[in-house]
Amino acid sequence: MFFEFPFEIPYLLTLLLVVPLIGAVATLAMGGERQKYAKYVAGTFSGIAMVLSLVLLFTPDLSVYNESYTWIETAGVRMSYILTVDGLSILMVFLTGVLVFLSTVFSAREHDRPHYFFALLLAMEVGLMGVYMAGDYFLFYILWEVTLIPMYFLIAWFGGPRRHYAAIKFFIYTHVASLVMLIGIFAIVFGAAGGGTVDFSFAAVLAGSAAFSTTFQTLVFGLLFFGFAVKMPIVPFHTWLPDAHTEAPTAGSVLLAGVMLKMGSYGIIRVCLELLPDGAQAWQMTMVFIGILAMVYGAYACIAQKDLKKMVAFSSISHMGMVMIAMACLSDIGIQFAVFQMFAHGLISAVLFMVAGAAGHNIGTREIPLLGGLAGKLPVFAAFMMFGFLASLGLPGLVGFWAEFGIIFSFYEYTVSIDMIWLIAFCLITLLLTAGYYLWAAQRTLFGRLTTKIDLTHIHDLSRPEVVALGATCALIALFGLWPDLALGFIKDYASSLALTLGAV
Amino acid sequence: MFIEYTWLVPLVPVLCFVAIGFLGKKMPEGGGPLAVFGALFACVLSVLISYEFFTSSAYADPGYVTAQITWFSIGSFDINIGYYIDSLSCLVMMFASFISTLIFVYSIGYMHGEGAKKRRYYAQVSLFLTGMLGLAISSNFLEMFVFWEAMGLCSYLLIGFWGFDHPKGDDATDVAASAAKKAFLVTRLGDVCLMGGMFVLLYEFGSLDYAAVFDASAMAAVDPSMIMLGSLLIFGGVIGKSAQFPLLDWLPDAMAGPTTVSALIHAATMVKAGVFLVARCFPLFTQNPEVMLFVGVIGGITAFFAATMALNNMNIKKVLAYSTLSQLGYMFLALGAGGYMMALGMQTHDHHLMAIGAIGYTAGCLHMVNHAFFKALLFLGSGSVIHSTGTEDMREMGGLHGKMKITSITMLIGSLSIAGFPFFSGFWSKELVLETVMHAGDYGAEGYLFTIMWILAIVTAFMTAFYMFRMWFMTFKGKPGHGTEHCHGESPKSMTVPLIILAPFAAALGAILLFGFDEYVTIGINHVGEFQLGSGHGHGLEGWLEDIFMSIYTYLTIALVLAAIGIAYFMYSKMSVDPGKLNKNGSSMIYRALSNRWWFPQLYDQIGWKLGNGVARGVEFVDTQVVDGTVNALSSAVAGSGDSIGKMQTGNMRDYAAVVMFGIVSLFAVMLVLFYFMGGA
Repeated sequence: MFFEFPFEIPYLLTLLLVVPLIGAVATLAMGGERQKYAKYVAGTFSGIAMVLSLVLLFTPDLSVYNESYTWIETAGVRMSYILTVDGLSILMVFLTGVLVFLSTVFSAREHDRPHYFFALLLAMEVGLMGVYMAGDYFLFYILWEVTLIPMYFLIAWFGGPRRHYAAIKFFIYTHVASLVMLIGIFAIVFGAAGGGTVDFSFAAVLAGSAAFSTTFQTLVFGLLFFGFAVKMPIVPFHTWLPDAHTEAPTAGSVLLAGVMLKMGSYGIIRVCLELLPDGAQAWQMTMVFIGILAMVYGAYACIAQKDLKKMVAFSSISHMGMVMIAMACLSDIGIQFAVFQMFAHGLISAVLFMVAGAAGHNIGTREIPLLGGLAGKLPVFAAFMMFGFLASLGLPGLVGFWAEFGIIFSFYEYTVSIDMIWLIAFCLITLLLTAGYYLWAAQRTLFGRLTTKIDLTHIHDLSRPEVVALGATCALIALFGLWPDLALGFIKDYASSLALTLGAV
Repeated sequence: MFIEYTWLVPLVPVLCFVAIGFLGKKMPEGGGPLAVFGALFACVLSVLISYEFFTSSAYADPGYVTAQITWFSIGSFDINIGYYIDSLSCLVMMFASFISTLIFVYSIGYMHGEGAKKRRYYAQVSLFLTGMLGLAISSNFLEMFVFWEAMGLCSYLLIGFWGFDHPKGDDATDVAASAAKKAFLVTRLGDVCLMGGMFVLLYEFGSLDYAAVFDASAMAAVDPSMIMLGSLLIFGGVIGKSAQFPLLDWLPDAMAGPTTVSALIHAATMVKAGVFLVARCFPLFTQNPEVMLFVGVIGGITAFFAATMALNNMNIKKVLAYSTLSQLGYMFLALGAGGYMMALGMQTHDHHLMAIGAIGYTAGCLHMVNHAFFKALLFLGSGSVIHSTGTEDMREMGGLHGKMKITSITMLIGSLSIAGFPFFSGFWSKELVLETVMHAGDYGAEGYLFTIMWILAIVTAFMTAFYMFRMWFMTFKGKPGHGTEHCHGESPKSMTVPLIILAPFAAALGAILLFGFDEYVTIGINHVGEFQLGSGHGHGLEGWLEDIFMSIYTYLTIALVLAAIGIAYFMYSKMSVDPGKLNKNGSSMIYRALSNRWWFPQLYDQIGWKLGNGVARGVEFVDTQVVDGTVNALSSAVAGSGDSIGKMQTGNMRDYAAVVMFGIVSLFAVMLVLFYFMGGA
């Protein structure tokens, strides 16, 4: 790394949890008369958290920040407070820090109970950071559940007209999936203990996982995989996602698509692939099938959508399908680029959801058939929308292209190895469809004749905070697109060591 | 000393793009002069680099200079970024930057009235030029692809330049918006093929560097069928980018953009990228004669079909667009025929055959350069006419020669050149193309296909001369039309000066290149297989003259060209023959087929609509009715509400949870069963 952060900040990982937590409480206290200052308090705390996450990026040896304390130890059960960051999680932690801050900035004009709104965002940050940093299954599960609650309230309190339906659907789907996951977690933890002390820490379970039989691995892989994959999401358990996105406020959508969906794929790599390599081999074809289905189905569904935000939601399903096929390759390149795609899609979907949200606020509708020819009236909005669309359809030079290129190449390697090269056609068709739905949407919203179906007297271009948030995200997309090694460098070693585990089967 | 700074060639225009993009509003003419500076800088540097390369020792052996650094790695495969300079890159770099400079100068006059939109225009054309220059100097396929797609993006943005707020109203706006989308999507179809080709190459060769892939021993070690697959996929990208059959439909639509953009796309950038890539991949493509046969046949078909569609078109820009397609077809035909013979020669170690094949390569590259000059001249000339008359319809022109002398004469030179009138630039390269294709017909089992293509190419030469002079006579001679009355006379200096500069190049460059510098072109494929250019010599003046004038068919094509010009003269200038009689005043079947572009657009729209939107409707139905419908039906059945889902309230959350849980568990069971059937543990 060209620059190394000179100090070691004590308890950095704990601070990444505590700062947003204090921020959430402080913001919540800004009720009544002080409401209009809530955003500044929230911005300060999420800003500090972002800077702390940035420090991590410039730390050459991440192991100095490991924290480990025994939390509960009774009757042969040990649960610990372990926080750790490695090549898999560092980009996700960074992404969380950046996106929470930027979505706070983007939502600066939120006037409806802002202290609740911003407190929920910060509360969600606690959970998200925690999931990516946890080194103990008990802690991991608790924080996983913690993320659900703020999101539920964000949708139910600040959402659109069908917010209750969407919020409940979101909650039940993901909650039930996490129950299945919990069963899986118990299975691996008790399985690894093998009658001895039941230790929930990742390290202990990993050490004990050598004894797992193939049958055990296969069954438990199924449970855990299902629990994680619903979160990604996978077809046909995806219908909660478009509804949740359509109803959620912009900041909620940004975090949902940008960071929360990645919890699913993170879990699959962290738990399923690391611990259950035999299970992964057994489920490989199924994962490939699920990934292709999500990719193509999601892309086709996008074409049919009329709501801009719903289209972007389906495109998330399609892009997460790419992550799925990359993981399914069980190879060095596959894992490296699966993680890279998680990061890339986090940034790109943030831009897309901000733009879709801005369409709702600034134009008054997100219905594509009602729009048209707006590029002349809203040049800044149009520029960001085109940037987001182009990034998402994989324009070379922006971060999404490299991720997709690597993923499809790893998938190509896999198809050659099983002698089914034609499978690669699904990926290429998806790329084509992706360009198709984005450009068609751009044609119908930004270009062509100016719409007469809506009242154009009240539409206005992006406000300054919106431009700042979008501009910063776009700058990151371009930065990592021109210099992909900046992100790939973090993942490389982790991916090759995991591939060794998987390949040793 | 200049070659080390090759990276500045694309870098300076891209910096202009950034500067104009952010600060163009405050610059004079929306940043136009800065764009001109960027192009001019690239042009001067390109010439210096080329001079240094041609005089260096690397020129003869190994034939290229390359330097690169690792950009990032995909697993154990390093992806590099750097430059690769050989005679082909020098050629492309020089003509692209030179012509772009003139187009940008011309734009200052042409786009003067566009107001605030000028900033966008100059930023995007600078990026466009960056794309072409970066493509020319790229050292590997992936780097090349980045620039390739940058050009795709710019063509999308510039074709859609009037995609909103078109000065001519709503209908024109819709046309521009739709044309831009079509251009991007059709080329994208090719691009995903090209990506597929890169996956094949990266997997087989372990690298995407030109130097590594084109290495003879590396190619020998790879399964020929995989090389064939990779080559065909790469050519798929070329078909999209260079608008070859069957993906030729986007280019005529792309006329919706400003005329200067058409000049840029047709002459200096974009469609030339495809020709460049085929020439660049010559070592790879010549591994299989079948690949080159495919390239040639696609080129021949395109040359013929595109020419037919130009025969009766009334739009001055569209006639030129079809002529571009047709001329590009010639280039691919020449490269394909030459490559075919080289590939056969390599298989049988026949050096004579390889030498004949090399003529095809020279002819293709030479035609690319010639075409760049005369097509830039013709488009800029047509822009001058459109600027002055305010119409693109040739029926509203006529008799403009008196009012616009400079435009008229320069366009006449361009037309003579493209028509292959003896001793003009286009004549030399076109004759060589025909010559090569005729020879290719004599070799190999599938050679007869080239004989067919040769006949088509000769017919195309006739049609080209006819439609070009039909265009010239309809515009500058004949009866004055509505637009002629409104003509404000000759265009401003910034527009006529580029025309005057281009005209001598369009007239004479072909002869100069062929007779003086042919070695610098042909050497691009030195060391392909066993092909070795003789000790520092090209084919020589006598050799070329012999090739061209000893063949009886040369005189045949000259006669056909003259006849075609004569027919056009009688029909559209002297008006002594009424073309309406030939086509039953536009009601004959063939006339309608040509007007409807052989119904290609309708066919594509139908296919695209069915495969895209049709399937999407089905998926949407499954999603809302079947998948989500099941979830909602299950929940309402248990909750007992029976009402629409919109009324679902928080009260029955637990029941809802139970139902979803049940559904998930059963679906999970189904998945498990499926997975066992799929051959898991």
